[in-house]
Amino acid sequence: MKNPETETNSILLIGIGNSGRRDDGLGWQFAEEASLLIPEGIDYEFRYQLQIEDAMLVSRYKTVIFADATYENTEEGYSIRKCLPASHYFYSSHVQSPETILYLCDEIYRKKPQAFTIAITGYEWELKNGISNKATDNLEKALASWMHDLYPSLRIEQDKEQTSKQAF
Amino acid sequence: MTTKITIDPVTRVEGHGRVTIHLDEYGHVKESYFHIVEFRGFERFIQGHPYWEAPVLVQRLCGICPVSHHLAAAKAIDQIVGVEPWELSPTATLLRRLMHYGQIFQSHALHFFYLASPDLLFGVDAPPEKRNVVAVALENRELAVKGITMRKFGQEIIRAVAGKKIHGILAVPGGVHKTFSPEERDYFLNGKEIENIDTMIEWSQEMVNFMRDYHIKNRKFLDEFAAFPSGHLGMVDANGGLELYDGKLRAISSDGKITLPDINTSDYQDYFSEAVAQWSYMKFPYLKQVGRENGWNRVGPLARINVCDFIPTPLAEKARQEYMAFSGQKVNNSTLYSHWARLIEVLHCAELIKELLTDDNIFGNDLIRTGTPRLKGIGIIEAPRGTLTHHYEVDEKGKIIRCNLIVSTTHNNDAMNRAVKWVAEQVISRKGTLTDSMLNQVEIAIRAYDPCLSCATQAMGKMPLQAELYNHEGVLIDEKSRN
Repeated sequence: MKNPETETNSILLIGIGNSGRRDDGLGWQFAEEASLLIPEGIDYEFRYQLQIEDAMLVSRYKTVIFADATYENTEEGYSIRKCLPASHYFYSSHVQSPETILYLCDEIYRKKPQAFTIAITGYEWELKNGISNKATDNLEKALASWMHDLYPSLRIEQDKEQTSKQAF
Repeated sequence: MTTKITIDPVTRVEGHGRVTIHLDEYGHVKESYFHIVEFRGFERFIQGHPYWEAPVLVQRLCGICPVSHHLAAAKAIDQIVGVEPWELSPTATLLRRLMHYGQIFQSHALHFFYLASPDLLFGVDAPPEKRNVVAVALENRELAVKGITMRKFGQEIIRAVAGKKIHGILAVPGGVHKTFSPEERDYFLNGKEIENIDTMIEWSQEMVNFMRDYHIKNRKFLDEFAAFPSGHLGMVDANGGLELYDGKLRAISSDGKITLPDINTSDYQDYFSEAVAQWSYMKFPYLKQVGRENGWNRVGPLARINVCDFIPTPLAEKARQEYMAFSGQKVNNSTLYSHWARLIEVLHCAELIKELLTDDNIFGNDLIRTGTPRLKGIGIIEAPRGTLTHHYEVDEKGKIIRCNLIVSTTHNNDAMNRAVKWVAEQVISRKGTLTDSMLNQVEIAIRAYDPCLSCATQAMGKMPLQAELYNHEGVLIDEKSRN
């Protein structure tokens, strides 16, 4: 088994959702397709919901991306936002927000990975497999943005960091 | 005219429950109900599906204890393909047990650290924003780190055996579909990549000792809070020892008399009946021969420790003996002792996991057995929350035509109602107002049973908490809500 302490990449992409609930599977589908497009250099995880112990997981990375479906009508069909720690807590043992996970990561493990949320607008939520056509369009736009904007910028950061490490 | 108090829903409990408390004109508690108001109907939904789908489908009942549903269903389906528990291959039995103990370990860790510890550490009068695990993490970082790591360890066991942490698949009709590798075993033993099993045992002992000391300091409160007589039901092995995966069912009365004498699990229908109430979707199981009034039983850690004669691992047995000595060597009927009992089981599971990981039979390749097919299968295990029953009947083509699930929380239905009534009578009666502390004590009583209302009604859901207090003329005089 892989050693999570020493064998992680510096970027983690977590797809959140449930593919058995139509467009709620957008987060998983995003992570799945991203892993085919960029199979090396990024670790991928899949979650029904974020849980408190995910604070431990994200503490091992420099950058964390949370991809999830959203009910909100986003202008482009998706939105990519910087995600910051926040202390709000859900009254449930097994549903936490990315912001809370980052907050716990900082408080418990003293780590502050930079993080982004990729929210993709969905429309159909019934108990069935398969993402709706309209949501699939949004997924493709989100993937294009990931591939052409966010991921390249993260790579540049990563390369700079490695160069400066080598210089030392 | 009566006064009605509604607490809707109950927080830090999986699923959606509601509590109503009816007061008379003098402000005394007249009645109280713990309503389960969701319904999903998995027992109907699964009808028409082929039997071999059951272990996979039923685990979708719940994201908290899918492993328990998976294994209970698998045990039932084994019988449908003609294989009794003792006819499974040694490797299949060991791997199923490993998965089961990993599940109990992580589920109990979740309950203690995430759900119970805020009440224990901060007290019933702490403000709501403090009664959660984030606050625990902020004030007691070491405890939080251990809690998260222990839960993670149990989840990693499940992942290694079943492929993924939630809704993974290990069991297939008549056995398991994969074996274990030495590399997978070393991951849990050598401590290089994650904290190893010896550390889990050490931390489990620390938690048991923490709870013992907590009981020493808070004995009166813990002895008295929601204490009431009840029957207790659990599984035991052939020698009367605590058994969690496969054994006989034993029940005792509140004073220790045997009310169910170590019966075969496949005979459960001869002994149990289920009552219904208009105000709840959850049924009320009871022992037929004792009757509806007194035949209900608590299940789960408190009941299991009460029912067994010993625990067959040394450290947990030592912890049980301390617990029993503290309880005066009697059946313990105090609700909040569930937490101590739960941690003793955490220690027991850690010891069992070590035993299994060091047994080379887990590497075997004899994985599946077959037999003569039958039309009925009953699988009963001790899930984290208590005795879990899956019963399936199939037609000649193998399609499920009947399904009956009795989950742990259903067994505890009467007990939770009794606990709510105790709090209502002791804390809310005659006060004429509601405080956060009162509401929290209602919840503490329910939470001790670690109920999973989603499972009990096969439903999911969560909402903010709302409580209303009406005077004897039906006028709203106080209202509290938590979002």
